[in-house]
Amino acid sequence: MTDVTAPSQSKRTRAAPSLLARLEHAAPWLALAIIGVALPLFDDSYIGVIAQRACIYWILCAGLNLVVGYAGQIAIGWVALLTLGAYSTAVLTAGKVMDAWNPYLALLASGVLGGAFGVIVGLPALRLRTFYFAMTTLGFATIVTQVALAWTEVTGGGVGTPGPEFPWPFNPEWGFYYFCLLLAALATWMTANIASSRYGRALIAIRDAEVAAEASGIAKPRLLMTVFVFAGALAGVAGGLFSSLQSYITPDAFTFDLSVLFFIAILIGGRGSILGPLLGTILLTVLPEFAAPLVAWSTFLYAALLLVIVLVIPGGIADLLDYKNRRPLQQHREIVARPELLARVLDRSKDAKPGAIELKDISLHFGGVRAIDGLDLAIRSGEVHGLIGPNGSGKTTTLNVISGYYAPRSGTATLNGAPLPFGAPHTRARYRIARTFQTPRLIGGASVLQNVMIGGTIDGHAGFSEAMLSLPRHHRDEKALGDAAMIALQTVGLETLADVRADRLQHSELRFMEIARALMLRPAFLMLDEPAAGLSAEEIRRLGALIKAISREGVGVLLVEHHADMIFDVSDRVTVLNLGKMLAAGTPDEIRSHREVVNAYLGG
Amino acid sequence: MPTSAADPLLEIKGLSAGYGKIGVLSGIDLTIGAGEIVALLGPNGAGKSTLLKAISGLLPRTGSIRFGGQDMSSANPRDAVSAGLVHVVEGHRVFTQLSVTDNLMLAGYGMSGADRAQRVEEALSFFPEIAEKRHDRAVTLSGGQQQMLAVAQGLVRRPRLLMLDEPSAGLSPVLVDRVLTTAGQLREAGTAVLLVEQLIDKALKLADRVYALARGSIVMEASTKEADLHNRLERAYFG
Amino acid sequence: MLQSIVSYGLAVGAVYALIGITYNVMFSASRVFSFTAGMLGMLGGVLGALFINKLGLPAIVGLVVVLAGGAVLGVVTEFIAVRPVLKSIEQHLYVLSTLAFALLVQQFTAIEWGTDAQPFPRLIPIGEGWLDQKFWLPMLACALTIVGLEFLYRRTLVGRAFLAIAEDSYAARALGLPETRLRIASYALAGVIGTLAGFAGAQILLAFFGNQAILNFYGFVPVALGGMGSNRGAVIGGLALGVFQQAANFLVGGIFASVAVFVVFIIILLLRPEGLAGASTARRV
Repeated sequence: MTDVTAPSQSKRTRAAPSLLARLEHAAPWLALAIIGVALPLFDDSYIGVIAQRACIYWILCAGLNLVVGYAGQIAIGWVALLTLGAYSTAVLTAGKVMDAWNPYLALLASGVLGGAFGVIVGLPALRLRTFYFAMTTLGFATIVTQVALAWTEVTGGGVGTPGPEFPWPFNPEWGFYYFCLLLAALATWMTANIASSRYGRALIAIRDAEVAAEASGIAKPRLLMTVFVFAGALAGVAGGLFSSLQSYITPDAFTFDLSVLFFIAILIGGRGSILGPLLGTILLTVLPEFAAPLVAWSTFLYAALLLVIVLVIPGGIADLLDYKNRRPLQQHREIVARPELLARVLDRSKDAKPGAIELKDISLHFGGVRAIDGLDLAIRSGEVHGLIGPNGSGKTTTLNVISGYYAPRSGTATLNGAPLPFGAPHTRARYRIARTFQTPRLIGGASVLQNVMIGGTIDGHAGFSEAMLSLPRHHRDEKALGDAAMIALQTVGLETLADVRADRLQHSELRFMEIARALMLRPAFLMLDEPAAGLSAEEIRRLGALIKAISREGVGVLLVEHHADMIFDVSDRVTVLNLGKMLAAGTPDEIRSHREVVNAYLGG
Repeated sequence: MPTSAADPLLEIKGLSAGYGKIGVLSGIDLTIGAGEIVALLGPNGAGKSTLLKAISGLLPRTGSIRFGGQDMSSANPRDAVSAGLVHVVEGHRVFTQLSVTDNLMLAGYGMSGADRAQRVEEALSFFPEIAEKRHDRAVTLSGGQQQMLAVAQGLVRRPRLLMLDEPSAGLSPVLVDRVLTTAGQLREAGTAVLLVEQLIDKALKLADRVYALARGSIVMEASTKEADLHNRLERAYFG
Repeated sequence: MLQSIVSYGLAVGAVYALIGITYNVMFSASRVFSFTAGMLGMLGGVLGALFINKLGLPAIVGLVVVLAGGAVLGVVTEFIAVRPVLKSIEQHLYVLSTLAFALLVQQFTAIEWGTDAQPFPRLIPIGEGWLDQKFWLPMLACALTIVGLEFLYRRTLVGRAFLAIAEDSYAARALGLPETRLRIASYALAGVIGTLAGFAGAQILLAFFGNQAILNFYGFVPVALGGMGSNRGAVIGGLALGVFQQAANFLVGGIFASVAVFVVFIIILLLRPEGLAGASTARRV
């Protein structure tokens, strides 16, 4: 995970990476580049064919890697797009449908076609669960092959059709090899750029922590579709090159086995990495060639390899290479928050007007149960509003209503007087309403810094293409985002763990990390869902101090909690819920001595 | 502290448990003697349900658990049930698609057919209201009846220790009394009961001893005969 | 022609239905959708042809051996591909582990017993034309399975334990039900049903290693449409799919028939992701 994405951000506000560190990071790429360029020196056409195939497979896998490895979509039937690209290039250059096209234009057309169909194949992912989606992609693969078999006039049916030959300087043998190598390098560069941009992080957030991604303002449909277009285009181009490599294509060149190979290559390589799947693809292309009898068993071996990876090293090659994250961490770590940095993090403009989120007479039913019954609640700027009550009293549900997950049956919710729309939780980020979750939502495989940077996703300016082509605006974005994330980490006291994989952190550290992520939104309102659960007494005190400091900066805080003492200590106002109804509301002192509250809490 | 003269039925030392990385309980010491009713009280989020799950093996835990003289520190729920330690989880989770009788029969899974049939009848005898619905699917029962069914499930094994997790939740006062009366009847028959309850007064009236759990630790232990319990509890809760 | 569509469609639909039930049985026991359902169906045909044709076993013996093999494979699946990933937090891993295992078996089959579709012996010399036993054997197998499952679920304690685990595995565990043992038994049962489907339908589908992918998909469609875990939905969906497919075959030709099936399937799924029967969605936050 950290092989491509970490260095450019993590060292931002610290010392610039040493030459040695830069070389260490670039070493595998340099090695691959040297081998790639020098390969013709072997003057072995057999090696040439293998190498061309590896490059072509990688062009497809580079895009598929974003879909499978980053976005986590199980697109097993992706070979459909290879088939499509191969046939479109072959058919266009053969002149069967219209006048013969120039091969390069045909290749471009295959890319465009691949992009368009990538959307079609990917569309079900927005609605369907993992297994269902996997099945639909399998169906697509079957369909495309069937169509290729049936549409004899165009595709030549079972007999097949010849693939194009590219003109000088990329005509067959080493010329074509360099063409493939060039495109493979381009694909690597573009996907690496995307991976290390806010888009790459957003993809992983959707994969591993979807609700946290939503809360950070990431819109899943748009991002997924963009990635499917990009990956589809790469697959289409790969298909075109494939048809030239094979020089004659038939439908049974595009087997399910091939599709599985791509898929396995990415998983062997490891999700969230570029280098891993690249090595995986090379490995799987080259492996059967080393021993002739192995060819028949190649798919068997791939499957066995996949099984071993899933059971033993789910992180793949990338995990094995990630020795940086095997260094032991300091044992007794303390979280020392620095609330004085809050002003820089929150970056509140001087003319930010105080406002409020107001719920009036909200009612919500789940089936026959009244989860919330006639609730009035106001979160005002600069105030901490505590929300307590027994289990099942509707605390988290209230928070989820404000977050936009549930639409109330009756009542109104307004933000600074304007109605708050429901059913679109990812729009809350734009309203500068941030939140944390009852169980910390994190991306285990990403670093703490990357996790926190997710929180600032919507503040980026560079578009997908700018990120892909590594244009200046993208770099400015990354620098600003990285700097802001470091300050957020310093504020909550986790800066020493910035480069550590998030799943190595203790539970309490994860809670503070979530707060740092929420602060990245520069929120006007912050909602905390039981942030003290699982924290030590000392950590709870520090958390309380941090929360108070946040509210003093003008942020309106809603604090849902079980720890009564913390609530009374930190809140300016307290509302007590019981069975969805408001039992009492007032200042902490009033509530503390409120007989009914004590009884409800103790159960009377 | 009052304990039975012989080895306590359930003896827990240094129990810690949680969910994944989230530690909830730490260093819990607790004993229950044969045939006594012990109430476990505490504010929400204190870890009462977690403690029961840790005892019955539904959650991984560290520490020592001895039941009836046997070491149960690494026992799973199945072992616990065989040994006579039965846990009725919160939320009256019965199998709605199966009949009342089927629900009870499943509670006796692994017993011989004749034994099982007999114990099912015994369990039903505690709750005549559901006995007359024995062939109906559990989904047709009201919430209170489902809770009675859940407790009846716990009785099929004739447990030595029955752990009830908030059996009164969502029940009308009449039904709450029904369930708590049953606990009293069990005590007379020699069964110990560990009762997690929200209704403090009713729990104190029924139980012999009480533990208070707050913020993952035992903060109070007393006999229910002692004075001023209510205030002591308040102080224990709010620290 | 209509008779042909109906008999062929119902026969192949019955096979799809049984594969759907295979998926359901595994899902009910473990909340896992396993790619091995199609594998079991494929092996029912391939192993059946192997035992009866090549090894000369009588049909009944061949059937018993095949079913036993299915049970064994089911248990192996649970042990290798399901149990290890149940403990993991990463939900998606079971898709990969069962896919990998199914592929292993498929490739082994292809290498050991060839990639050509082999004919399956005629099992019972009864019936001809559209009433031939090759058409009603799968339907018989389907009917027997449904009756058998009903008996299991309604009359035996084990069956009711299966239902309990399918409804609420946490409560089942707390009650002391032997969860692991029951899961293993469920997978063995799924193995039997899957291979039975393949064996009964092999005269139509032939003994062919490529059946795995076909059955994986077409056996899944009834489950997706009928609602996961619903055997009734699987049967109705399977039979309907079989007939629809055959009708499309005759009307627009084989290749476009599969396109038609797929397109309809996708559209229905996109409109009703939980299937036509509908199911509740879990709380995410």
